Amino acid sequence: MALKGLDIFKLTPKKNCKECGNPTCMAFAMKVAQGAVSIEACPYMSADAIATLSEATAPPMKTLKVGTGAAEHSIGGETVLHRHEKTFVSENLFAVSVCAGCIDSKLPEIEKVDYERIGERMYVEALNLEFTDKDSYVQLVEKASGKGRLLILDVKDAEAAEAALEKCAADKPILNGATPDNYAQFTEIAKKYGVVLGIGAPDIDALHDTVAAVEGLGYKDLVLDVTAATLKDTFANAVQVRRAALKDGDRTFGYPSIVNVKKLAEGDPHRQTALASLFVLKYGSIIVMEDMTYSQALPLYGLRQNIFTDPQKPMKVAPGIYPLNGADENSVCATTVDFALTYFVVSGELERSGVPVNLLISDAGGYSVLTAWAAGKFSAGSITKFIKENEIEDKIKNRTLIIPGKAAVLKGELQERLPEWNILVAPNEATNLVKFMKEL
Amino acid sequence: MAFTRKPQTYSSSINEVTIGTGDKAVTIGGSNVMPLYSFDAPLKNKVAIGAEITDSGVDRTLPGIASYYEGAETIAEIAKRAAEMPGADFVALALNGADPNGDNRPVEECVEIAKQVSDAIDVPLVITGSRNVEKDTALFSSIAEALQGKNVLLVSAKEENYKTVAASAIMAYGNKISAESAVDINLAKQLNVLLSQMGINPESYVMNVGTAAAGYGYDYVASTLDRVKDAALAQNDAMLQMPIITPVSQETWTVKESIVSEEDFPDWGSRESRGVDMEVCTAAAVIAGGADAVILRHPQSIEAISNMVADLM
Amino acid sequence: MAKFVVIGERIHCISPTIKKAMEEMNPEPIIKRAKEQIEAGATYIDVNIGPAEKNGPELMKWAVKTIQEACDNVPLALDTSNRAAIEAGISVYDRTNGKPIVNSADAGDRIENIDLAAANDAIVIALCSKAGVPSDNDERMVYCQELLERGMNEGMDPSDMWFDPLFLVIKGMQDKQMAVLDFIGQLSDMGLNSTGGLSNVSNGTPKHIRPILDAATVAMAMCRGLTSAIMNPCDARVMETIKASDIIKNNFLYADSFLEI
Repeated sequence: MALKGLDIFKLTPKKNCKECGNPTCMAFAMKVAQGAVSIEACPYMSADAIATLSEATAPPMKTLKVGTGAAEHSIGGETVLHRHEKTFVSENLFAVSVCAGCIDSKLPEIEKVDYERIGERMYVEALNLEFTDKDSYVQLVEKASGKGRLLILDVKDAEAAEAALEKCAADKPILNGATPDNYAQFTEIAKKYGVVLGIGAPDIDALHDTVAAVEGLGYKDLVLDVTAATLKDTFANAVQVRRAALKDGDRTFGYPSIVNVKKLAEGDPHRQTALASLFVLKYGSIIVMEDMTYSQALPLYGLRQNIFTDPQKPMKVAPGIYPLNGADENSVCATTVDFALTYFVVSGELERSGVPVNLLISDAGGYSVLTAWAAGKFSAGSITKFIKENEIEDKIKNRTLIIPGKAAVLKGELQERLPEWNILVAPNEATNLVKFMKEL
Repeated sequence: MAFTRKPQTYSSSINEVTIGTGDKAVTIGGSNVMPLYSFDAPLKNKVAIGAEITDSGVDRTLPGIASYYEGAETIAEIAKRAAEMPGADFVALALNGADPNGDNRPVEECVEIAKQVSDAIDVPLVITGSRNVEKDTALFSSIAEALQGKNVLLVSAKEENYKTVAASAIMAYGNKISAESAVDINLAKQLNVLLSQMGINPESYVMNVGTAAAGYGYDYVASTLDRVKDAALAQNDAMLQMPIITPVSQETWTVKESIVSEEDFPDWGSRESRGVDMEVCTAAAVIAGGADAVILRHPQSIEAISNMVADLM
Repeated sequence: MAKFVVIGERIHCISPTIKKAMEEMNPEPIIKRAKEQIEAGATYIDVNIGPAEKNGPELMKWAVKTIQEACDNVPLALDTSNRAAIEAGISVYDRTNGKPIVNSADAGDRIENIDLAAANDAIVIALCSKAGVPSDNDERMVYCQELLERGMNEGMDPSDMWFDPLFLVIKGMQDKQMAVLDFIGQLSDMGLNSTGGLSNVSNGTPKHIRPILDAATVAMAMCRGLTSAIMNPCDARVMETIKASDIIKNNFLYADSFLEI
């Protein structure tokens, strides 16, 4: 966020001496705000003012790298409160909470959920390691380390934290344990092992004070655990922390957040799904769950992928043959564009029909049917080219091709270019596809 | 340095709309802060939750639904049970069977069903149509007449039929309607302008700006909701200050995750659980985005979402 | 961004009808003119009672009450060189639909109107001039800075100071038009609100030409960041231009019927 001219003006000596080449301090301040002049052009600017200014021109929310290797992730770095204003930049991470007594049974369940959706690997990116006692904690850390997942050390006991970091500092975990009582000691530990420090507090004022105190100790690789005793307070914290940083210029809150929904709804998986969804939208950088079953993962990862997609760039699925409902070489073919939303709606309806069908997706620039057709990216030529280049006629014996209702105009030309094929036109609306397919 | 709170309140607010009659009537909307931001100013009304039943009953292939509605056979009994569901504030009757491309249930039969449901319950009634414009025009006009004065909410009037639906439902028979547009903020606004130009007062209609299941283009829904609330509150755009109703269940129970069987996708586990999570995840997202009422199907979804909503008041 | 604020200028003591109504304290002609302007899309109504040296406070109180009671507490700009009259007007002003506007202060002998606005939690129109027309934008900026400092020292929120760059007449000062627009851009870059007497630009031009010049000026000025104008809202061409410019600036959501709302 660029500093407004007025804020810079307040830092100037207000002498209108013209030595900077501008008629007034106000005019100078404006040019600095536009980036046209450097603040140093004013010979009377105090060192404090220059420091304030450079602080204020830094990004409003820090970007942090956590984890290593395949488990390295960026969190934070957001500049807007709503995706349509620009885009969100760092997807939230999902963590599952494990303890010494449950890691052996939970790890295989966690590892089960691992799949791809529109080119993105969907899995539990982080493990939240709950503290019970020092000895078992080190064992827990050893078991969790090396599993290709970011570790979050959920521990407020300094001795246990050090012992754990002795084992896993190289994994670049997050040490989530600083509180208003222990922050000095935890800051030293985080510095010593070079890890990101998580700070929690009983309320938002104490959180603010503690973050300021840790910054005062010279440490700024921080995440803020906004989890409170109730959902209402947790939500209030998550929103106010992010809003203060991005909208109100409160740099003390300019860090990524952790929300532990397990603590808010333990033993109630559907409720945790609801809360996780809430915090995907409203400002959780890392969301800690009790479990992550397929049932929870499918909607939550889909939602996250939607929310964090760049509004300027359409989501595309990879071109290719998608056999649905157990389709084989004797099943009919249908084609549509590679725009992810169109693909999901069309494939969903086709699946609902239960009729085996090979869905052919060609590269249409990620546009919807009408837009792609108007842009010449979904034409008789492009469909024919796709069929020839991918040797569809060798791979599939059936010669029925269904085209979208909204591209009915392509039928004649397609029929000419693909004389062996029987070109059928689907209904205009995807919702009518089920009936259409069943009556085929 | 202490945290400086900067509450973001607005001089404008979302309209209040009441549905139903008597003690169990429900009022939605009214707040002058971003959705659920109770830390900026107290929220005026709770997000209302509707329990969905259909003209052909409920989906008893799902054990949780079957057991909840066990023993309820007639549409009246089913409606009564839905009205008693913990966490539900209203009953939403989905006349899916009216669809000319489906069962094509005649208007008279649909009206009869709507009357039976209305007579069986004391909570507000929301009725969703066939989503076929011509059919719904006839359907809503007849239902509005049959349920005159019951203050039911008919979902939804569209650009093609708003005149007829608004004239009969609101002006002639004192019911409420929702104005529907397909995830497009400019169309949503235009439809509201057209209704206001008919002289419909803003307390008589809500809007349905559309939705999508989580993962299915929900990005458009999220941004539409964000922009609607921003226009309504920050820009004080009176033509977008209508409360929002979102029929969540109809979108979430038709996507692959909620349909395919456990036999076909053994890794994915119970179909019922998947359906509930998809419904819950989508509902929480639209509520976070600013829906003032949602329609849900599964008792477990309603339990999870009503708890979340109550906790956030 | 907020929608462009139209301050309706048609209740002005120069108008014979209004002058007579004010002399006789006859409410009808004044209410009629207020309603016409509101109907046409004015957000604020300017109330110019002239210097009113004899009965300023009494007249302004009467005008404020008369208009607000008849027009759903429409927000008003209190326009007179008589400071006591402005204070009296504010004392009976209803803030339901917006703070009162003090019209106006400048960097010369009217700078104390800044203090008046600050003391009464009002908006102030701050003319970037001292005596006569500023010679260039540097001079305008010096005045702007003086006014801003004065207001901030008095505890005003800068958003309550609406700076007036002084629109200049085209027929005679054609070569200065772009400088005024540039200055609006400078104000906007600083995040400041701005306003001004729009129809100044077309003074002395034929009647059918005036709306065209006013409309072009307001569109170009809005592009540079002008946030308000003191103008005749009953001029349909100018109002349509403002509404369309608000759409283009994304201040107001497009709908096919946007001109009608």
